Amino acid sequence: MARDIETEVQALLPLAPAFLQILIALGEGERHGYGIMQDVTERTAGRVRMSPGTLYGSIKRMLAEGLIEELTTGAAGADERRRFYRITRFGRRVASAEADRMSALLSQARSSGLVPRRS
Amino acid sequence: MAGPSFAERVYRLLLRCYPGEFRDEYEREMLQAFRDRLHSDRRVGFRAIVRLWWQLVVDSIIRAPGEHLDVLGQDIRHALRSFRRAPVFAFTAIATLALGVGANTAVYSVVHAVALRPLPYESADRLVRIWEKNDALALSGFSASLPNYLSWRERSQTMRIAAWRAGNVTLRSTGDPVRVPSATTAADFFEILNVAPVAGRLFVPGDDAGGASRVAVITAALWRRHFGEQPGVVGSTVMIAGNPHTIIGVIGEDAVPSTAEFFMPLRVNPKEETRDNHVAQVIGRLNNGVTFQQAQAEIDAIARQLEAEFPASNKGWGITMSTLYDWAVPPEMRRALYVLLGAVCCVLLIACSNVANLMLARAAARRREIALRVAIGAARRRLVRQVLTEGVVLSACGGAAGVLLAYWSMPLLREWLPSTLPRATDAAVSAPVLWFSVALCTLTGLAFSLVPALAASRGDVIEALKEGARGSSSAGHRSRQLLASAQVALATILLVGAALLVQSLQRLEHVDLGFDPGGITAAMLGLPNDRYGDSNASWAFYERMLDRLTSSPGVTAAALSSGAPFGGGNTGMPINAVGPSRLNAEALQTDWRMVSPGYFSAMRIPLLRGRSFTGAAADGENRLVVSAAMARRMWGDEDPVGRQIKAGPNGLFTVIGVVGDVRNLDLSLDPAPTMYLSATRYVWPTMTVIVRTTGANAQPANLLRGVVRELDPQLALHNVRDMETLISESASQPRLNASLTGLFAVIAALLAALGIYGVLAYLVSQRRQEIGIRLALGASRTSVLRLFLRRGAGLAGGGLVAGVAGALAASRWIESMVFGVSARDPWTFAGAILAIGLVALCACYIPARRATRVDPLLALRND
Repeated sequence: MARDIETEVQALLPLAPAFLQILIALGEGERHGYGIMQDVTERTAGRVRMSPGTLYGSIKRMLAEGLIEELTTGAAGADERRRFYRITRFGRRVASAEADRMSALLSQARSSGLVPRRS
Repeated sequence: MAGPSFAERVYRLLLRCYPGEFRDEYEREMLQAFRDRLHSDRRVGFRAIVRLWWQLVVDSIIRAPGEHLDVLGQDIRHALRSFRRAPVFAFTAIATLALGVGANTAVYSVVHAVALRPLPYESADRLVRIWEKNDALALSGFSASLPNYLSWRERSQTMRIAAWRAGNVTLRSTGDPVRVPSATTAADFFEILNVAPVAGRLFVPGDDAGGASRVAVITAALWRRHFGEQPGVVGSTVMIAGNPHTIIGVIGEDAVPSTAEFFMPLRVNPKEETRDNHVAQVIGRLNNGVTFQQAQAEIDAIARQLEAEFPASNKGWGITMSTLYDWAVPPEMRRALYVLLGAVCCVLLIACSNVANLMLARAAARRREIALRVAIGAARRRLVRQVLTEGVVLSACGGAAGVLLAYWSMPLLREWLPSTLPRATDAAVSAPVLWFSVALCTLTGLAFSLVPALAASRGDVIEALKEGARGSSSAGHRSRQLLASAQVALATILLVGAALLVQSLQRLEHVDLGFDPGGITAAMLGLPNDRYGDSNASWAFYERMLDRLTSSPGVTAAALSSGAPFGGGNTGMPINAVGPSRLNAEALQTDWRMVSPGYFSAMRIPLLRGRSFTGAAADGENRLVVSAAMARRMWGDEDPVGRQIKAGPNGLFTVIGVVGDVRNLDLSLDPAPTMYLSATRYVWPTMTVIVRTTGANAQPANLLRGVVRELDPQLALHNVRDMETLISESASQPRLNASLTGLFAVIAALLAALGIYGVLAYLVSQRRQEIGIRLALGASRTSVLRLFLRRGAGLAGGGLVAGVAGALAASRWIESMVFGVSARDPWTFAGAILAIGLVALCACYIPARRATRVDPLLALRND
């Protein structure tokens, strides 16, 4: 059983950049669509700006993969007209697996001299 | 709140690029996100706004189609899953479509190769063929005389004209002498056709001058066959009739519209050529900017000039032109091909309606499931798209299978094709044919899923859920009944056509030939001028040859003719009666042949009056044997023996006998008036020798070759063929038409029967309760049987009426393809109606009988 989930997780790696950004945005809690867009913009200091098409296209796929889920009721104090999304446990595992993969890559880059080591 | 801003309206428009389902889900959110982002970007600056709009445009152009593909992928997966759950339906549908698309692909590949492909010559649409014609002599496309051709060439401002004379030469270089078809052509013949040599060079003006050295051009095929494709062939010498010819160049396949393999320049000796000796084929290229009509008008004017200048030879002779395409692929042949294509399209239509019926039946069975899906929120638009996708997937699978079927059957089909069909050997499932199949598949997929898709989009949800599996959507059912009737109509049309063509074929194959072809082998032989200068020397050789042949074992008869029946080509001339005749002073165009004295008995042509030639040379001098048709046309029922006719410049001939008519050219043409001269006195440069052998000697070809070689090793026999094969081949086009149409008619009838069966079976299953009630209330089982048979008869009857009307309308096109029977023959129609009626009756009977077996108790209980 555990091995099945692990293969499923690995099957999704490497994760599309947009997916990772959305997972990070949802890591702290539930958000609605524009909230995710805002969070990504702020975090990347304006370098990454998602369009509605990218966002909702990714949301649709991530819902299908089970990385995120939609809230059936509004979050506390939320605007009724918006839909809210939340990361799932599976989504967390995938995000963390991706982070592991990236940091392993970073160590390899450092040890080969491509990236200067942190002094 | 303010109405949507301009920017928002623009974004809404961009969002329309997304699939409907996606928009239903996320459009609101995307608009809201857009508003928020625009608001914040306005604060950042102009560049941010530009970047935003750029991203939105990219979304619409790149991501939106991605979403569409996603939906399509889902629909396809859903379709495949549902087919796996209903394998019988899927297999039946795909097999039906494979038959329809496969047959169409195969026929289309033939039609494309023969008629639709452009001709392989450069700017072939500017090329024309030119003939002389004489309406009084009923000659519509006759060879041209060389002096006339030269006059046209000089005088025409609208065309460049070149002529060639077809013939045969015996090639002597290495190895055995071999006889090849040849042509002597104008010096600019190759230039006008824009032919580029594969090796060496081609003729230039000057090569045909009187004193120029003798040059020749050969085809690549001859180079391969006879010269072993050796590089030194250009510049090598071959002997033709004792004269050395230097080969200066080689042309490729299909470079010129002639079957000749050896080309020499045409030298016209004005003293020898007369204006009334018609020997040449003529081709022309329209000058730039000249239309066909302009050229035709000019050449007509030239013909009239020549008529006025040379009344003795040119009176009554006009000129006729046709485009090269019309000559290569005659309109009647094209029509026959299109009729075949139409027939096979009928089969495809029937196949499509069968599959449509299957899908409608399936949809009716799934009404509940569909209604449930609609009830829980599936968009009708999505359902319609799913049905259409199912249809396209079915037709894609069926089409692929069909193309494979066609591809595998191409070698068989090519063998079946008559040799008279030009360019048919190239028929293959090529790129244009594949595109045709793809287009056909898509159209058929949409066609047969349209009706079920519309049926899916209509229909009351609540009613469907209440009724459950019972009850039928009347709209869907009416469509199915209409489709079944349409199938019957199409099958009727096909059956009438097939019956007419089969009858034509039978009549053609049993037509009276006028001679007995059994066991006859024919071969052609040409005696070169240098060693057989006059007719005495030629006849001496032939007489020895015939003696040798008749004394060979297994040979029952041997004879000679200047042109055997079905040998291709014809020789004829106008003649006039001397003294009173039915034609008075009018000339009669008569075919002529030079034959050995034993020809008529060898061919078993009956001698009707008078006598045939004796073996003496003097007996042949100025004497003729005529055919019954010629005697009848000239002198009616009076005895022609002893009468005289005037033929050509050589004077008077006396008729000594009358023989039966012989079909010389084509099975479907009535025998033409013919006159026979004795070969003891008149010999043609190329003669055909015929032998009749019994089964014992199974190698007449070898026998012929052996005898000729014994007598003169430098001679070569060519064009050896078996008469019965030749005759059978001449019926090959009608045979193809009849067999294919017959096959299609049978398939169509079967499919139509399936269609009626399906509709009636469904009807019975839907009305089980009603049947149960009737039986419970005392109705007899026969009355139930009659009820459903009547329904079936109504369906079939409607289809038959439409079919007969259609067949009558189509009779116009099939008229030119039938022989010996009218395209509106009432017996044929009656027979077809009867056949389809019987088939339909059988198809109705089975479900109707099942209706009578319904157990009233079970039927009433099943709710």
